[in-house]
Amino acid sequence: MHIPDGILPIGLTLGGWAAAAGITAICLNRIGAQPDPRAGLPRASMMTAAFFAASLIHIPVPPSSVHLMLSGLMGAMLGWYAVPAVMIGLAFQAVMFGHGGLTTLGVNGVILGLPALAAFALTRVLGGVRHPAAAALVSFATGAGAVLLAVALFATILLAGLPAHLDANAERAAITALALAHLPLALAEGIIVAAALGFLRRTNPEMIGAR
Amino acid sequence: MLSATAKSMTAWLAALLLAGPAIAHGAFVDVTAVDAIGIDARYDTGEPMAQAQVSIFAPDDPSQPWLRGQTDAAGRFVFTPDDRAGRWAIQVRQAGHGAMGYVTVGADGTHNVVMNAAGAGLSWAQRLLMVACVLWGAVGTALYFRRNRQTTVV
Repeated sequence: MHIPDGILPIGLTLGGWAAAAGITAICLNRIGAQPDPRAGLPRASMMTAAFFAASLIHIPVPPSSVHLMLSGLMGAMLGWYAVPAVMIGLAFQAVMFGHGGLTTLGVNGVILGLPALAAFALTRVLGGVRHPAAAALVSFATGAGAVLLAVALFATILLAGLPAHLDANAERAAITALALAHLPLALAEGIIVAAALGFLRRTNPEMIGAR
Repeated sequence: MLSATAKSMTAWLAALLLAGPAIAHGAFVDVTAVDAIGIDARYDTGEPMAQAQVSIFAPDDPSQPWLRGQTDAAGRFVFTPDDRAGRWAIQVRQAGHGAMGYVTVGADGTHNVVMNAAGAGLSWAQRLLMVACVLWGAVGTALYFRRNRQTTVV
């Protein structure tokens, strides 16, 4: 789900930068309003490293492979810190491994940042869920839904920026195939977030939805 | 009977004359060896970019592709630039993934290939080391802010 440089028209890349800057500013503002904004930084730092490394872990989904995304886990674990963490992780991925690009950093930040915020919103709902099975289901939906939302954003942005000289049908078919290949990833990330939040519920329940 | 045969003969002759150009010429194939540019498109996992869309941009028109095509199942594509000197851009893309490459064709026909492939060609050991460096930085950041927090509390 990383759009590299040179794929999108300039308008979309600039729009992506503007949107990502706006979302990051809102998140930083919320973090700054907390009693101790530094309190969440150690966890945010470690999760950024996990997010950065996750893109190197490929899950084979024949005929190709997909890599872990973890934006749902970022949102669930970090809350408002998730978007700055995603932006930093994406910048490292672009510079070091060529995953994504610097011109498309904004667009990629939106593609992975918005699902992280959606996951955070769902985690807040989770705080009020008492039944363990219902809580597990909401946790699973948090992780799986984040992947599906990211895929939907990715496909929408790509189709909106499709240049006229490309064979639109072939590209649409390729995007559909890629989206379908992410369904097992949605399942896997749903399970990862359900396990992480399940553990947190047992050991540190006040942390869920508190950030 | 005779006139019917003559009629059909005339029709046949007319058809022969009308279709003349196609039948009257032989076909020749000139075979020449030319310098071609070969593209091998792969994902960083090593998988070929099969049936990916290829757009070739000539040096004087970077907005409209000079040639469009598709890679084969092994992610390969071959083309021969015309005699325009300058930087030819090659874009290969599939489902939002892709890369640009460039070939500079000199006035004397020499080629200089530049691929834009950040991160490509790194070995697993190099990747692991880079991840380890970032992890180390993250651990350091985490410990720094934990320490600050503890001293504030104290």
